[in-house]
Amino acid sequence: MSNLYERLGGENAVNAAVELFYRKVLADGRIARFFEGVDMDQQIAKQKSFLTMAFGGPNNYSGLDMRNAHKRLVEKGLNDSHVDAVLEDLSSTLRQLGVAEKEVKEVEALANSVRNDVLNR
Amino acid sequence: METAPGETVLDALLRAGLEPPHSCRAGQCQTCMLRATEGRPPVESQNGLTEAQKAQGFFLPCICRPTAPMIIALPDDAGAPQEAAIREIEPLADDIVRLRIETGSFAYRPGQFLELIAEPGLGRHYSLASHPEEDAFLEMHIRLHPNGRMSRRLTDGLRPGHKLHIAGPRGSCFYEGVNKDQPLTLIGAGTGLAPLYGVLRDALQRGHRGPIRLYHGARGANGLYLADELRALAKAHGHFVYIPAALDAGGDVAALALEAEAPSAADSAFFLCGGENLVKRLKRDLFMAGASLKAIRSDAFMPAAPSA
Repeated sequence: MSNLYERLGGENAVNAAVELFYRKVLADGRIARFFEGVDMDQQIAKQKSFLTMAFGGPNNYSGLDMRNAHKRLVEKGLNDSHVDAVLEDLSSTLRQLGVAEKEVKEVEALANSVRNDVLNR
Repeated sequence: METAPGETVLDALLRAGLEPPHSCRAGQCQTCMLRATEGRPPVESQNGLTEAQKAQGFFLPCICRPTAPMIIALPDDAGAPQEAAIREIEPLADDIVRLRIETGSFAYRPGQFLELIAEPGLGRHYSLASHPEEDAFLEMHIRLHPNGRMSRRLTDGLRPGHKLHIAGPRGSCFYEGVNKDQPLTLIGAGTGLAPLYGVLRDALQRGHRGPIRLYHGARGANGLYLADELRALAKAHGHFVYIPAALDAGGDVAALALEAEAPSAADSAFFLCGGENLVKRLKRDLFMAGASLKAIRSDAFMPAAPSA
Protein backbone atom coordinates (compact mmCIF):
# COMPACT_ATOMS: atom_id res chain seq x y z
CA MET A 1 0.00 0.00 0.00
CA SER A 2 1.42 3.37 -1.00
CA ASN A 3 1.75 6.08 1.58
CA LEU A 4 -0.95 8.60 2.46
CA TYR A 5 0.50 11.44 0.37
CA GLU A 6 0.58 9.25 -2.75
CA ARG A 7 -2.89 7.86 -2.13
CA LEU A 8 -4.27 11.40 -1.87
CA GLY A 9 -2.65 12.43 -5.14
CA GLY A 10 0.49 14.24 -3.97
CA GLU A 11 1.17 17.84 -4.86
CA ASN A 12 -1.81 18.03 -7.21
CA ALA A 13 -4.10 17.12 -4.33
CA VAL A 14 -2.57 19.83 -2.17
CA ASN A 15 -3.05 22.36 -4.97
CA ALA A 16 -6.66 21.30 -5.43
CA ALA A 17 -7.37 21.60 -1.71
CA VAL A 18 -5.50 24.71 -0.64
CA GLU A 19 -7.77 27.45 -2.01
CA LEU A 20 -10.95 25.62 -1.02
CA PHE A 21 -9.54 25.22 2.47
CA TYR A 22 -8.43 28.85 2.72
CA ARG A 23 -11.88 30.06 1.61
CA LYS A 24 -13.53 27.94 4.31
CA VAL A 25 -11.18 29.29 6.96
CA LEU A 26 -11.77 32.92 5.94
CA ALA A 27 -15.53 32.37 5.89
CA ASP A 28 -15.50 30.65 9.30
CA GLY A 29 -16.72 33.21 11.83
CA ARG A 30 -15.07 31.31 14.68
CA ILE A 31 -11.53 31.91 13.39
CA ALA A 32 -11.68 34.57 10.68
CA ARG A 33 -10.44 37.31 13.01
CA PHE A 34 -7.04 35.63 13.31
CA PHE A 35 -6.52 36.11 9.57
CA GLU A 36 -7.44 39.78 9.39
CA GLY A 37 -4.85 41.97 7.71
CA VAL A 38 -2.50 39.14 6.72
CA ASP A 39 -0.98 39.09 3.24
CA MET A 40 -3.10 36.57 1.35
CA ASP A 41 -0.30 35.37 -0.95
CA GLN A 42 2.05 34.71 1.95
CA GLN A 43 -0.75 33.08 3.91
CA ILE A 44 -1.72 30.67 1.14
CA ALA A 45 1.90 29.55 0.79
CA LYS A 46 1.83 28.74 4.52
CA GLN A 47 -1.50 26.93 4.13
CA LYS A 48 0.08 24.86 1.37
CA SER A 49 2.97 24.01 3.61
CA PHE A 50 0.55 22.97 6.36
CA LEU A 51 -1.58 20.83 4.02
CA THR A 52 1.51 19.10 2.62
CA MET A 53 2.48 18.16 6.16
CA ALA A 54 -1.06 17.03 7.02
CA PHE A 55 -1.23 14.97 3.81
CA GLY A 56 1.92 13.14 4.86
CA GLY A 57 3.98 14.80 2.12
CA PRO A 58 7.63 15.90 2.05
CA ASN A 59 8.21 18.58 4.66
CA ASN A 60 10.71 19.73 7.20
CA TYR A 61 8.16 20.41 9.86
CA SER A 62 9.65 22.20 12.81
CA GLY A 63 7.71 22.52 16.03
CA LEU A 64 9.68 25.66 16.78
CA ASP A 65 8.54 27.36 13.55
CA MET A 66 4.95 26.44 14.31
CA ARG A 67 5.28 27.84 17.85
CA ASN A 68 6.83 31.10 16.70
CA ALA A 69 4.28 31.53 13.92
CA HIS A 70 1.35 31.25 16.34
CA LYS A 71 2.77 32.90 19.44
CA ARG A 72 1.07 36.24 18.84
CA LEU A 73 -2.24 34.53 18.03
CA VAL A 74 -2.15 32.62 21.31
CA GLU A 75 -1.70 35.96 23.06
CA LYS A 76 -4.79 37.13 21.19
CA GLY A 77 -6.79 34.20 22.56
CA LEU A 78 -6.12 31.30 20.19
CA ASN A 79 -7.23 28.09 21.93
CA ASP A 80 -8.38 24.49 21.37
CA SER A 81 -11.76 25.55 20.01
CA HIS A 82 -10.04 27.41 17.16
CA VAL A 83 -7.83 24.43 16.33
CA ASP A 84 -10.99 22.30 16.28
CA ALA A 85 -12.55 24.74 13.82
CA VAL A 86 -9.53 24.56 11.49
CA LEU A 87 -9.61 20.73 11.62
CA GLU A 88 -13.33 20.77 10.79
CA ASP A 89 -12.70 23.06 7.82
CA LEU A 90 -9.91 20.75 6.68
CA SER A 91 -12.08 17.62 6.89
CA SER A 92 -14.93 19.33 5.10
CA THR A 93 -12.53 20.38 2.32
CA LEU A 94 -11.37 16.79 1.88
CA ARG A 95 -14.91 15.40 1.84
CA GLN A 96 -15.90 18.01 -0.73
CA LEU A 97 -13.03 16.76 -2.91
CA GLY A 98 -14.28 13.17 -2.55
CA VAL A 99 -11.51 11.90 -0.28
CA ALA A 100 -12.47 8.62 1.42
CA GLU A 101 -13.25 8.64 5.15
CA LYS A 102 -10.21 6.51 5.99
CA GLU A 103 -7.84 9.09 4.49
CA VAL A 104 -9.79 11.99 6.03
CA LYS A 105 -9.15 10.46 9.45
CA GLU A 106 -5.45 10.00 8.73
CA VAL A 107 -5.11 13.64 7.65
CA GLU A 108 -7.03 14.78 10.72
CA ALA A 109 -4.67 12.83 12.96
CA LEU A 110 -1.56 14.31 11.30
CA ALA A 111 -2.97 17.84 11.47
CA ASN A 112 -3.99 17.31 15.10
CA SER A 113 -0.46 16.20 15.96
CA VAL A 114 0.73 19.83 15.77
CA ARG A 115 -1.97 21.13 18.14
CA ASN A 116 0.32 21.58 21.13
CA ASP A 117 2.96 23.36 19.07
CA VAL A 118 0.34 25.70 17.59
CA LEU A 119 -1.02 26.49 21.03
CA ASN A 120 2.49 26.92 22.48
CA ARG A 121 2.16 24.43 25.31
CA MET B 1 30.43 31.23 -4.01
CA GLU B 2 30.13 27.62 -5.08
CA THR B 3 27.53 25.07 -4.14
CA ALA B 4 28.74 21.56 -3.41
CA PRO B 5 27.30 18.83 -5.68
CA GLY B 6 23.68 18.31 -4.72
CA GLU B 7 23.73 21.19 -2.26
CA THR B 8 20.87 23.71 -2.31
CA VAL B 9 21.45 27.44 -2.55
CA LEU B 10 19.87 27.85 0.90
CA ASP B 11 22.30 25.35 2.43
CA ALA B 12 25.23 27.06 0.70
CA LEU B 13 24.14 30.47 2.04
CA LEU B 14 23.78 29.05 5.55
CA ARG B 15 27.15 27.32 5.27
CA ALA B 16 28.69 30.69 4.33
CA GLY B 17 27.41 32.10 7.60
CA LEU B 18 24.58 34.15 6.10
CA GLU B 19 21.21 34.02 7.77
CA PRO B 20 18.64 34.15 5.00
CA PRO B 21 15.03 33.91 6.21
CA HIS B 22 13.66 30.41 5.65
CA SER B 23 11.15 28.03 7.12
CA CYS B 24 9.82 24.87 5.44
CA ARG B 25 12.97 23.95 3.46
CA ALA B 26 10.70 22.02 1.10
CA GLY B 27 9.77 24.61 -1.51
CA GLN B 28 6.34 25.39 -0.14
CA CYS B 29 6.27 28.32 2.26
CA GLN B 30 8.22 30.70 -0.06
CA THR B 31 9.82 32.39 2.95
CA CYS B 32 13.32 32.09 1.44
CA MET B 33 12.46 33.34 -2.08
CA LEU B 34 15.29 35.08 -3.95
CA ARG B 35 15.74 36.41 -7.48
CA ALA B 36 18.29 35.53 -10.14
CA THR B 37 19.34 38.73 -11.88
CA GLU B 38 21.58 36.77 -14.27
CA GLY B 39 21.41 33.11 -15.24
CA ARG B 40 18.33 30.91 -15.21
CA PRO B 41 17.30 29.10 -12.04
CA PRO B 42 16.45 25.40 -12.54
CA VAL B 43 12.77 24.92 -13.45
CA GLU B 44 12.02 22.84 -10.36
CA SER B 45 13.26 25.65 -8.09
CA GLN B 46 10.39 27.84 -9.38
CA ASN B 47 7.70 25.31 -8.54
CA GLY B 48 4.57 26.98 -7.20
CA LEU B 49 5.57 30.52 -8.21
CA THR B 50 3.42 32.65 -10.48
CA GLU B 51 4.30 33.00 -14.16
CA ALA B 52 5.14 36.65 -13.53
CA GLN B 53 7.57 35.68 -10.75
CA LYS B 54 9.16 32.99 -12.92
CA ALA B 55 9.63 35.47 -15.77
CA GLN B 56 11.53 37.75 -13.39
CA GLY B 57 13.86 34.98 -12.22
CA PHE B 58 12.42 34.41 -8.75
CA PHE B 59 13.23 31.00 -7.27
CA LEU B 60 13.19 29.07 -4.01
CA PRO B 61 16.75 28.55 -2.73
CA CYS B 62 15.70 25.68 -0.44
CA ILE B 63 14.94 23.49 -3.47
CA CYS B 64 17.44 25.05 -5.88
CA ARG B 65 20.44 22.97 -6.94
CA PRO B 66 22.06 25.16 -9.59
CA THR B 67 23.53 23.61 -12.73
CA ALA B 68 24.91 26.88 -14.13
CA PRO B 69 26.18 30.11 -12.57
CA MET B 70 23.58 32.60 -11.35
CA ILE B 71 23.80 36.07 -9.87
CA ILE B 72 21.24 36.29 -7.10
CA ALA B 73 19.68 39.19 -5.22
CA LEU B 74 17.19 39.75 -2.45
CA PRO B 75 13.63 39.84 -3.81
CA ASP B 76 13.14 43.57 -3.30
CA ASP B 77 16.58 44.66 -4.55
CA ALA B 78 15.99 47.23 -7.29
CA GLY B 79 19.58 47.31 -8.52
CA ALA B 80 21.80 50.33 -9.19
CA PRO B 81 20.12 53.63 -10.13
CA GLN B 82 20.55 54.93 -13.68
CA GLU B 83 20.21 58.42 -15.10
CA ALA B 84 17.08 59.58 -16.92
CA ALA B 85 16.00 62.89 -18.45
CA ILE B 86 12.58 64.47 -18.10
CA ARG B 87 10.76 64.77 -21.43
CA GLU B 88 7.36 65.99 -20.31
CA ILE B 89 5.38 66.96 -17.19
CA GLU B 90 1.73 67.58 -18.11
CA PRO B 91 -1.49 67.72 -16.08
CA LEU B 92 -3.89 64.78 -16.55
CA ALA B 93 -6.43 65.89 -13.92
CA ASP B 94 -6.67 68.53 -11.18
CA ASP B 95 -4.20 66.71 -8.95
CA ILE B 96 -2.54 64.21 -11.30
CA VAL B 97 0.38 64.81 -13.66
CA ARG B 98 1.85 62.68 -16.39
CA LEU B 99 5.62 62.38 -16.19
CA ARG B 100 7.49 61.10 -19.22
CA ILE B 101 11.21 60.41 -18.96
CA GLU B 102 13.87 59.07 -21.30
CA THR B 103 16.71 56.81 -20.33
CA GLY B 104 19.19 54.35 -21.81
CA SER B 105 18.46 50.65 -21.87
CA PHE B 106 15.74 49.85 -19.33
CA ALA B 107 13.97 46.49 -19.72
CA TYR B 108 10.52 46.40 -18.11
CA ARG B 109 7.01 45.07 -18.54
CA PRO B 110 4.06 47.51 -18.58
CA GLY B 111 2.50 47.55 -15.11
CA GLN B 112 5.75 47.11 -13.21
CA PHE B 113 6.96 49.99 -11.07
CA LEU B 114 10.24 51.83 -10.68
CA GLU B 115 11.79 54.04 -8.07
CA LEU B 116 12.01 57.66 -9.20
CA ILE B 117 14.86 59.46 -7.44
CA ALA B 118 14.56 63.23 -7.85
CA GLU B 119 17.50 63.92 -5.53
CA PRO B 120 19.41 61.93 -2.91
CA GLY B 121 16.94 60.89 -0.21
CA LEU B 122 13.89 61.72 -2.30
CA GLY B 123 12.73 58.52 -4.01
CA ARG B 124 9.18 57.32 -4.70
CA HIS B 125 7.71 54.28 -6.42
CA TYR B 126 5.57 54.80 -9.51
CA SER B 127 3.95 52.31 -11.88
CA LEU B 128 4.70 52.30 -15.59
CA ALA B 129 1.87 53.12 -17.98
CA SER B 130 4.08 53.09 -21.07
CA HIS B 131 4.85 50.18 -23.37
CA PRO B 132 8.49 49.37 -24.19
CA GLU B 133 7.70 48.44 -27.80
CA GLU B 134 5.33 51.33 -28.49
CA ASP B 135 6.77 54.23 -26.51
CA ALA B 136 10.25 55.75 -26.59
CA PHE B 137 9.75 57.04 -23.03
CA LEU B 138 8.77 55.77 -19.59
CA GLU B 139 5.41 57.15 -18.45
CA MET B 140 4.14 57.53 -14.90
CA HIS B 141 0.98 59.08 -13.49
CA ILE B 142 1.65 60.95 -10.30
CA ARG B 143 -0.88 62.22 -7.79
CA LEU B 144 0.14 65.58 -6.37
CA HIS B 145 -0.10 65.81 -2.60
CA PRO B 146 -0.31 69.39 -1.26
CA ASN B 147 2.58 68.85 1.15
CA GLY B 148 4.44 66.07 -0.64
CA ARG B 149 8.12 66.67 -1.28
CA MET B 150 8.10 64.88 -4.64
CA SER B 151 4.94 66.75 -5.62
CA ARG B 152 6.59 70.09 -4.88
CA ARG B 153 9.69 69.11 -6.88
CA LEU B 154 7.51 68.13 -9.83
CA THR B 155 5.41 71.30 -9.79
CA ASP B 156 8.00 73.89 -8.75
CA GLY B 157 11.44 72.65 -9.68
CA LEU B 158 11.69 70.01 -12.36
CA ARG B 159 11.34 70.88 -16.06
CA PRO B 160 11.84 69.00 -19.35
CA GLY B 161 15.53 68.34 -19.88
CA HIS B 162 16.30 68.06 -16.17
CA LYS B 163 18.08 64.92 -15.05
CA LEU B 164 17.06 62.52 -12.31
CA HIS B 165 17.62 58.84 -11.49
CA ILE B 166 15.54 55.70 -11.65
CA ALA B 167 15.99 52.20 -10.24
CA GLY B 168 14.15 49.01 -10.98
CA PRO B 169 11.88 47.81 -12.43
CA ARG B 170 10.11 45.68 -9.85
CA GLY B 171 6.72 44.13 -9.30
CA SER B 172 4.70 41.23 -10.66
CA CYS B 173 1.69 43.19 -11.86
CA PHE B 174 2.08 42.53 -15.59
CA TYR B 175 0.53 40.47 -18.37
CA GLU B 176 2.11 37.03 -17.88
CA GLY B 177 0.55 33.65 -17.26
CA VAL B 178 -2.80 34.87 -18.57
CA ASN B 179 -4.66 32.60 -20.96
CA LYS B 180 -5.36 34.62 -24.12
CA ASP B 181 -8.97 33.40 -24.21
CA GLN B 182 -9.97 33.95 -20.58
CA PRO B 183 -11.76 37.10 -19.38
CA LEU B 184 -9.28 39.77 -18.31
CA THR B 185 -10.57 42.20 -15.70
CA LEU B 186 -8.65 45.32 -14.69
CA ILE B 187 -9.89 47.27 -11.66
CA GLY B 188 -8.29 50.40 -10.29
CA ALA B 189 -8.85 53.77 -8.69
CA GLY B 190 -7.01 57.06 -9.02
CA THR B 191 -3.51 56.69 -10.42
CA GLY B 192 -4.01 52.93 -10.16
CA LEU B 193 -4.98 53.45 -13.78
CA ALA B 194 -1.30 53.82 -14.73
CA PRO B 195 -0.29 50.15 -14.42
CA LEU B 196 -3.69 49.03 -15.74
CA TYR B 197 -3.29 51.22 -18.82
CA GLY B 198 0.11 49.61 -19.40
CA VAL B 199 -1.26 46.09 -18.87
CA LEU B 200 -4.24 46.80 -21.14
CA ARG B 201 -2.06 47.92 -24.02
CA ASP B 202 0.29 44.99 -23.45
CA ALA B 203 -2.64 42.54 -23.51
CA LEU B 204 -3.96 44.05 -26.74
CA GLN B 205 -0.50 44.04 -28.28
CA ARG B 206 0.02 40.40 -27.33
CA GLY B 207 -3.27 39.41 -28.92
CA HIS B 208 -5.51 38.77 -25.92
CA ARG B 209 -8.76 37.38 -27.36
CA GLY B 210 -11.02 37.01 -24.30
CA PRO B 211 -13.23 39.85 -23.09
CA ILE B 212 -11.32 42.69 -21.40
CA ARG B 213 -13.04 45.01 -18.93
CA LEU B 214 -11.35 47.98 -17.30
CA TYR B 215 -13.04 49.61 -14.30
CA HIS B 216 -11.62 52.96 -13.26
CA GLY B 217 -12.84 54.76 -10.15
CA ALA B 218 -12.22 58.35 -9.09
CA ARG B 219 -13.75 60.78 -6.62
CA GLY B 220 -15.16 62.97 -9.40
CA ALA B 221 -15.43 63.00 -13.18
CA ASN B 222 -12.27 65.13 -13.41
CA GLY B 223 -10.25 62.26 -11.95
CA LEU B 224 -11.34 59.93 -14.74
CA TYR B 225 -8.32 60.86 -16.80
CA LEU B 226 -7.41 59.18 -20.11
CA ALA B 227 -11.15 58.65 -20.67
CA ASP B 228 -10.88 59.77 -24.31
CA GLU B 229 -7.96 57.43 -25.00
CA LEU B 230 -9.77 54.52 -23.33
CA ARG B 231 -12.99 55.18 -25.24
CA ALA B 232 -11.00 55.23 -28.47
CA LEU B 233 -9.38 51.89 -27.56
CA ALA B 234 -12.82 50.45 -26.78
CA LYS B 235 -14.06 51.62 -30.18
CA ALA B 236 -11.10 50.07 -31.96
CA HIS B 237 -11.24 46.75 -30.06
CA GLY B 238 -14.68 45.14 -29.90
CA HIS B 239 -13.71 42.86 -26.99
CA PHE B 240 -12.60 45.73 -24.72
CA VAL B 241 -15.04 47.61 -22.49
CA TYR B 242 -14.18 50.71 -20.43
CA ILE B 243 -16.26 51.26 -17.29
CA PRO B 244 -15.61 54.57 -15.50
CA ALA B 245 -17.10 55.22 -12.05
CA ALA B 246 -17.16 58.63 -10.35
CA LEU B 247 -17.84 58.38 -6.63
CA ASP B 248 -19.58 61.76 -6.38
CA ALA B 249 -22.07 60.53 -8.99
CA GLY B 250 -22.76 57.39 -6.93
CA GLY B 251 -20.28 55.10 -8.68
CA ASP B 252 -18.39 52.91 -6.17
CA VAL B 253 -15.90 51.17 -8.44
CA ALA B 254 -15.30 48.24 -6.09
CA ALA B 255 -18.99 47.50 -5.57
CA LEU B 256 -19.71 47.93 -9.27
CA ALA B 257 -16.89 45.60 -10.33
CA LEU B 258 -17.58 42.97 -7.68
CA GLU B 259 -21.24 42.69 -8.60
CA ALA B 260 -20.48 42.36 -12.30
CA GLU B 261 -17.43 40.11 -12.00
CA ALA B 262 -18.32 37.70 -9.18
CA PRO B 263 -20.26 35.25 -11.40
CA SER B 264 -17.26 34.71 -13.71
CA ALA B 265 -14.57 35.21 -11.04
CA ALA B 266 -13.39 31.59 -11.16
CA ASP B 267 -12.50 31.85 -14.87
CA SER B 268 -11.00 35.35 -14.99
CA ALA B 269 -7.58 36.92 -14.66
CA PHE B 270 -7.59 40.03 -12.47
CA PHE B 271 -5.34 43.04 -12.10
CA LEU B 272 -6.11 45.27 -9.08
CA CYS B 273 -4.35 48.59 -8.57
CA GLY B 274 -4.97 51.50 -6.25
CA GLY B 275 -5.07 52.30 -2.56
CA GLU B 276 -4.39 49.54 -0.06
CA ASN B 277 -7.96 49.34 1.27
CA LEU B 278 -9.48 49.04 -2.19
CA VAL B 279 -7.01 46.40 -3.34
CA LYS B 280 -7.34 44.32 -0.15
CA ARG B 281 -11.13 44.41 -0.31
CA LEU B 282 -11.26 43.44 -3.98
CA LYS B 283 -8.67 40.71 -3.60
CA ARG B 284 -10.46 39.09 -0.71
CA ASP B 285 -13.95 39.36 -2.17
CA LEU B 286 -12.91 38.10 -5.61
CA PHE B 287 -11.07 35.17 -3.99
CA MET B 288 -14.13 34.33 -1.92
CA ALA B 289 -16.23 34.55 -5.11
CA GLY B 290 -14.09 31.79 -6.59
CA ALA B 291 -11.11 33.55 -8.21
CA SER B 292 -7.82 31.74 -7.79
CA LEU B 293 -5.26 33.80 -5.86
CA LYS B 294 -2.76 33.02 -8.63
CA ALA B 295 -5.10 34.69 -11.12
CA ILE B 296 -5.16 37.91 -9.09
CA ARG B 297 -2.24 40.28 -9.63
CA SER B 298 -2.35 43.34 -7.50
CA ASP B 299 -0.40 46.42 -6.63
CA ALA B 300 -1.43 48.42 -3.58
CA PHE B 301 -0.13 51.99 -3.48
CA MET B 302 1.27 53.06 -0.14
CA PRO B 303 1.57 56.73 0.76
CA ALA B 304 5.13 57.87 1.41
CA ALA B 305 6.11 57.90 5.07
CA PRO B 306 5.36 61.37 6.54
CA SER B 307 8.98 62.01 7.45
CA ALA B 308 10.35 61.05 4.02
